[in-house]
Amino acid sequence: MNLFFLQNAVSASSAVNYLPIALQVLCAAGFVALTLGISPFLGPNRKTAEKLETYESGIHSVGNARQPVAIKYFLVAILFVLFDVEVIFFYPYAVNFRELGWNGFLAVLMFVGFFVCGFYYIIKKGALQWED
Amino acid sequence: MVPVLLILIPLITGAALFAVKQEATAKSIALLASLLSLALMLAGMSGYIDAAQMTYDQPWLGGINSRFHFALDGMSQLLCLLTTLSFPIIIYSTWNNRYDDSNRFFGLVLLSQAGLLGVFMALDALLFYFFWELALIPLYFLCSRWGGERRIQVTIKFFIYTFIGSLFMLIGLIMLYFKAGGSFAWSDFLNLKMTSGQELGIFLMLAIAFAIKMPLFPFHTWQPDTYEQSPTAVTMILSAIMAKMGVFGLLRWLAPIVPSATFLWGDNFATLAVIGMLYASFIAMRQDDLKRLVAYSSIAHIGLMILAIFAPSYSGIQGAMIQMFNHGINILGMWIVVNVIEQKFGTRKISELGGLAQKAPVLTILLVIVALANIAMPLTNAFIGEFMMFNGVLGSTATKFGLAYTIAALVTIILSAVYTLRMIQRVFYGETNELTSKATDISFNVKLSLAIIVVGIILIGVFPKPLLSLTSEVSADILGRMNLK
Amino acid sequence: MNAIILSAILGVILMFSGIFVTSKTAIRNIATAGMALLLLVNIAEQGGFHLFNVNTHNMLVFSKFGLLFNSIAFSATLLFFLVSAKDITNVGINAAEYFALIFFISCGIAIVSSFNSLLLLFLGIEIISIPLYILTGSDKRNLKSNEASLKYFLMGSFSTGIMLLGIALVYGAKASFSMEQMHSSINAGRNAWFYAGLLLVLISMLFKVSAAPFHFWTPDVYDGAPTVFTSFMATIVKAGVFIALVRLFDMSFVGSGYDWQLIIAIVTAATLFIGNITAIFQQSVKRMLAYSSIAQAGFMLFGVFSQNDFSREGIILYTLGYSLATIGIFAVLIKMKDYTFEGFNGLARTEPVLAATTTIFLLSLAGIPLTIGFFAKYFMLASAVKSGSHLWLVIFAILCAAISVYYYFRVIQSMYFKTGLAETEPVTPVFRWLLAGMAAAVIILGIFPNLVLQYLYF
Repeated sequence: MNLFFLQNAVSASSAVNYLPIALQVLCAAGFVALTLGISPFLGPNRKTAEKLETYESGIHSVGNARQPVAIKYFLVAILFVLFDVEVIFFYPYAVNFRELGWNGFLAVLMFVGFFVCGFYYIIKKGALQWED
Repeated sequence: MVPVLLILIPLITGAALFAVKQEATAKSIALLASLLSLALMLAGMSGYIDAAQMTYDQPWLGGINSRFHFALDGMSQLLCLLTTLSFPIIIYSTWNNRYDDSNRFFGLVLLSQAGLLGVFMALDALLFYFFWELALIPLYFLCSRWGGERRIQVTIKFFIYTFIGSLFMLIGLIMLYFKAGGSFAWSDFLNLKMTSGQELGIFLMLAIAFAIKMPLFPFHTWQPDTYEQSPTAVTMILSAIMAKMGVFGLLRWLAPIVPSATFLWGDNFATLAVIGMLYASFIAMRQDDLKRLVAYSSIAHIGLMILAIFAPSYSGIQGAMIQMFNHGINILGMWIVVNVIEQKFGTRKISELGGLAQKAPVLTILLVIVALANIAMPLTNAFIGEFMMFNGVLGSTATKFGLAYTIAALVTIILSAVYTLRMIQRVFYGETNELTSKATDISFNVKLSLAIIVVGIILIGVFPKPLLSLTSEVSADILGRMNLK
Repeated sequence: MNAIILSAILGVILMFSGIFVTSKTAIRNIATAGMALLLLVNIAEQGGFHLFNVNTHNMLVFSKFGLLFNSIAFSATLLFFLVSAKDITNVGINAAEYFALIFFISCGIAIVSSFNSLLLLFLGIEIISIPLYILTGSDKRNLKSNEASLKYFLMGSFSTGIMLLGIALVYGAKASFSMEQMHSSINAGRNAWFYAGLLLVLISMLFKVSAAPFHFWTPDVYDGAPTVFTSFMATIVKAGVFIALVRLFDMSFVGSGYDWQLIIAIVTAATLFIGNITAIFQQSVKRMLAYSSIAQAGFMLFGVFSQNDFSREGIILYTLGYSLATIGIFAVLIKMKDYTFEGFNGLARTEPVLAATTTIFLLSLAGIPLTIGFFAKYFMLASAVKSGSHLWLVIFAILCAAISVYYYFRVIQSMYFKTGLAETEPVTPVFRWLLAGMAAAVIILGIFPNLVLQYLYF
């Protein structure tokens, strides 16, 4: 049945096209609801005051928001985002791996080269050094 | 080659003077250079130099079709003669004035001479504009650096005024350039086919620039202040030569190029000129400062030339031509006297002076002759010019108000006699006071300079023919383009 | 293509020299040599010599105009390095990175001078902008610099967003990013989306060139940024964005029959007016120059307004003349202890060479003949007269030019006619010679502008 829907989606152009997406949204939402729903029944259940406090990324979110945060924190975060986004470029390459052949391989090698250059640069600049 | 040499001599000497450290040497070099250009000019006019050498035409900007084109026709010769004659006199008559950094002072003076000569000789509009501005820049520095107390504010006013004017002129010239099919040549500007609206637009753009420069009422407000605040040597350049740039502009770049607009708008400008003459004469009568008095009298005299050009006839145009020269040397004489008085007594106030005739008889005699010329007495040069102009305005077929203009202009002549003679009476006659009792007569350089001017005044006054024949062709041409006789 | 690739590589090289080279002098030399190399390679491409053969799928088109502009921008940057490199390394500790960022900006300029697709335009503009945000804030301990950087970044991001929206609308209307595609189908139906999109792109570009009414960031940013970088931002970068604007208009609006000329005319008039009037009231020369750069942008907008041969020649000359003069003045300004007008009092006595060259640069900015600034203005005005419409704009522009004389000449008055002891940092003879050379170039090109313009046609 699933197969039938997908084939339909390619040939016709109507609201039916979006059926697979709707299915996926449904599955995703269902998964979240399911796991959240059954976790209280599966594990032990001890209530403490600490647990009920609000927090974000391990930091108390109550109090003066204007307290200085170590700049390294941001640096690591932004570098993570940067390299994480760059990795996305591998996906299209992986899909077209065979078609692109050696030329594509060389291009990606170059890309990785730049990548490593950047990585080397940030290490040398001491961006990842945690202690001063 | 003559035009190029005429420009290069002062240009190179002027630039070189910045490197000369000794004051006396700098002054002598400047005098020599100005005499050299005078000699060259005289040689060129007297026919010793081949006529072909009097023009120069070389390509300059290929892309926009502008050329280094200079020529010395009758009108250019007249004005270049005035310029080259004035500069040695200016430098020599102020020989004893003291300036800080005098090498720079004389360097800038010579640079301005180069600019002025370029204006009078250029036959390419862009080149003309170039020199028009170049003459201004050195004068700006001269006035602001060596001028009187309020020099900085006054000079920037002067500069911005003339700069606005010249930018308008630039737009006008660009419009002509496109009309002439991409050429800046003066000869291509003649005989353009334009609608009356286009012609009027171009006329106004150019006329503003010239009106500010001359200056024509009501664009004159910069003039008395600037004349007063400038060092007198620079005032001489401004009034004897630079004011003629505007009149020259009317005759070369306005009347022949947009003749019908000049004809149509002639009455408006002629009326302004007459108002300006009366206004300046009345103000001149109330002045206590010698420099301001001469400055306002200059507005009145220039106004008459403007009147003659905008109410044109052959006699009037010829009169304006010769009067440009005459006014140049006459006002030079006045300024020399003002300079002597200022240098000697440290004041220009008429009320603080008196009785100079007893102490300085030579000065008095020479001044009286210059002053008589200033009020156009017969036998002096100004009589010839002003008589021809009155005659021309009265007989002009271009205007209906010739008689009214003439009467109003005659009133200003009477007024000029009033203020000039009154000034002589107050300053030179009467009792000496504490300040003037220790006066001595003038030194040799002033005597010689004034004597040259006086000889010129009388010579032209009795025998004006050579100068008149010099410009007759140009005048007839201008009138022909306006369909007038 | 030579310039785009090489400038990116040079930028990376400079980054790494920040790690391996400790001597600031060596970094300066590397950067200067690199810029000279970049200029050389670009000139080689003008002569038809291509280092790289990249198929850009017609997204980049290398015209004579674009390449000539690159050469001029790189020469100006080279001069900038020569006179101000020491001051760049003195801004903060990351000397090499500053140079690297400037090389990246050069890369962006090379892209926008030859883009043929709106995507590449966007990329180029962003490559120019992002390093500028950093350079503006590079004086880390200075609050004003921080403020300027943040302001510039926030406003810049907004304008980027607007540009993207515009590009999206254009794409929606024409189904293509290609300029040629837009040009060929320009009259195929008055597509409202297309014009709305172009208008948004125009607004964003006007923001980048600080045209009124999108100029509010300029004075604060120019004033707050370290003076060396203000000099770079106000000249080369601004001219680079102008080239993009001219290219964009050249190919998109012309022939559309829409009243875009009126829009540009109004923007031009507003820019001239606000720039000039506000500049009069400034007490600091640096801030005066910031407003004057707005005013000059007004004149450069004539290049966009009239779109003919004259305007193309004019924008080339304007870039050159304006960059030469402004870099020179800023180079002198950096050496001054006091940035107010009074700080210049009597400079002619203490440093005659600096005063004389500054005077020539100021005369050029004011558009006095015998300087290249005159021909720059001349071509702009002539182009507008030639285009025939909106003559009021020309008259308005000359009145503004006359106003500009007032504040430019105030500096001259201070230097020459007022007494005082202007204090400067110590200057080297080499610096004086360089300034004198630049002033000589201003004058020589002011007599023979053909020395530059001939390259447009051969």
